[in-house]
Amino acid sequence: MDDLKSKKLLIVDDEREIRTMIESFLRKEGFTRIYQASGCAETLEICRSIKPDIAILDVMLPDGDGFSLLTSLRQISDMPVLFLSARGEDEDRLLGLGLGADDYIVKPFLPRELILRLTAILRRVYLPPKREQLPVFNLGERIIDLEGGVVQNDSTEYSLTAKEHALLLKLYENKNRIVTSDALCQATWGDDYYGYENTLMVHIRRIREKIENNPSSPEYLLTIRGLGYKLMVKEG
Amino acid sequence: MESIIRILKRFIIATIAISIFLLIFNFILLGVWIFKGMNQGQSPSAVVQNVAKGLHVSFDAYSLNSSAEDMLKQNHAWAMLIDNNGHVVWDYMLPDDLPKTYSLTDVSKFTRNYLMDYPVFVWEHDEGVVVVGYPKGSLAKYQHILPTSWISSFPLRIASLLVVNIVLALLLSLIIGSRLIRSIRPLTQGIQDLAEDKEVYIEPKGILSNLAQSVNGASILLQQKSNSLKSRDEARLNWIAVISHDIRTPLSMVLGYASELEENNYLTAEQRSQAGIIRQQAEKLKFLVNDLNLVSKLEYEMQPLDKKPIRLSVLARQIVSEFINNGLDERFILEIESLDENIQVNADERLLIRAITNLIQNSINHNPDGCQILLQTSFNESNDTCSFTVTDNGKGISHNELTDLLELPYSSKRKQPSKNGHGLGLPMVARIARAHQGLLMISSDIGKGFSAEIVLPSIISDQKIKG
Repeated sequence: MDDLKSKKLLIVDDEREIRTMIESFLRKEGFTRIYQASGCAETLEICRSIKPDIAILDVMLPDGDGFSLLTSLRQISDMPVLFLSARGEDEDRLLGLGLGADDYIVKPFLPRELILRLTAILRRVYLPPKREQLPVFNLGERIIDLEGGVVQNDSTEYSLTAKEHALLLKLYENKNRIVTSDALCQATWGDDYYGYENTLMVHIRRIREKIENNPSSPEYLLTIRGLGYKLMVKEG
Repeated sequence: MESIIRILKRFIIATIAISIFLLIFNFILLGVWIFKGMNQGQSPSAVVQNVAKGLHVSFDAYSLNSSAEDMLKQNHAWAMLIDNNGHVVWDYMLPDDLPKTYSLTDVSKFTRNYLMDYPVFVWEHDEGVVVVGYPKGSLAKYQHILPTSWISSFPLRIASLLVVNIVLALLLSLIIGSRLIRSIRPLTQGIQDLAEDKEVYIEPKGILSNLAQSVNGASILLQQKSNSLKSRDEARLNWIAVISHDIRTPLSMVLGYASELEENNYLTAEQRSQAGIIRQQAEKLKFLVNDLNLVSKLEYEMQPLDKKPIRLSVLARQIVSEFINNGLDERFILEIESLDENIQVNADERLLIRAITNLIQNSINHNPDGCQILLQTSFNESNDTCSFTVTDNGKGISHNELTDLLELPYSSKRKQPSKNGHGLGLPMVARIARAHQGLLMISSDIGKGFSAEIVLPSIISDQKIKG
């Protein structure tokens, strides 16, 4: 993780105050090698000499726009790029991402959001990829092992079918939040809820039989009438 | 095209009717003229008959009765009686240059033609032949000799003449009509294009060149007007876009530093909460700028729509779940009522969610004491539309303030400035509905809650067949 903090960051914005502000946030987060540029020419020069590891680009620059800057940057560097722009229209966002930017944040932004997205990109690009582990969590006395696809009670072990697994995964990803029946069906069958009402109900009942102490009055997998379901998971 | 054929048809019918009328009129007129000409005054044959009848012989003396004599006088004519031997035995005003005896050859000659250039007419008498002569050059004599076959086919000829005339009239009217149509067609096309707000140029030629020039002028005028309107709209839109763009950078600084201060542990709790207020207000400003931008784009029809089929019931569940997941205050009850799963619309999902979220947020904002909010979808079979209704049982708004709500704040159409909120919300929802060829209907009264209905054209659900 400390590896990421030593990456070279380049902030490109025509407003000095914005650059200063972003730099101060980044320093507070522990990043130390931060460079600034106010225009396209300066950016290209820094990219050649310093070779930064990631760049935060503004779209409106005094000597050109960030989109064409990205295009010319790509000829000398493959570093990840994050757009930070006051232009928030869909077209601009799509244009930026289409050109190969890794993210697009619209001003005004929350500093926390910028830092989270920035580190996410850095981690994705520079940390060795590790195989995504599926979650394992407790529901009361039971252990739900989505990696292994089983539910363990102290005495017995139930295996989950593919559909039950997909439903539980979707519910766990949105734990303690309502997941609409539509989203569940989309995640499991790739189709609308319409036409799958009964199928979904049957699958939910089977999951409850495996994870609930009393399937007819569930305490973890709750029905939210008219909307969908909610998986109650205590944190920690 | 249809109208052109109609014009041509009427034109041809009118032309043929006129031709037939003219033909008949001329025939009648011709008949009347000839008849009149033949009967002008006393016809020569009547005069000669009268003279023959009025010439009496008694004891070798001839006497002409007075009526026949008057007739001769009126016509300035002379008369003579030639006996069977060729001698003139009686005469009246006979010119001196005429001989007194005539051979059979002479008689047969002047009977057909003229007697020494006098037009003469002959009638039989007991004593010979009566000859009446008119002054030289006063009458023309024609002999009409026609074959009987010609006479017998005369009615047929008249009929075929009529037919040929009608065909000729038809052809002529077709040619003239089509030429007229050819010169009218670009004009009619041009006027239709004008009605559809297209640019029109018609080459001014032919008899209607003036008209073509006026149509061109009108087109240029319309184009100029719509251009100036468009450029004004664009200027306004750009102005709002520039402002909202320029606000974003300073807003970034406010939001950024305020949220840093909010998390700064060296500050007192009170200072942190004050920084939090600054951050919240800055975020409000951010949403306001976004709304303003969207409303102005919708107003000038510059907002691109990313339309796709959307099931309204899915949208309702998604939005309600989102509200509940984000911690809806327990004073509010958000419910969905009996959804029709079939209803689908072709819409921009993000905009539609924004509109409905806005309606729900309105109900929450305006009823701080809590209320029940009900979401319904329904299908109206009579005009293939569907409705998404958000109803609350809160305090409502007085009936006469309702129309104001849909107007933009500070617009001249708005009677009173908006009281709470920035007032962009409902106008924005109305414009989103309008951008989808739909509309927003609101109803409320004090103490009776508030109801907003987004009516959108629905699309036939393909699932209906499957299910």
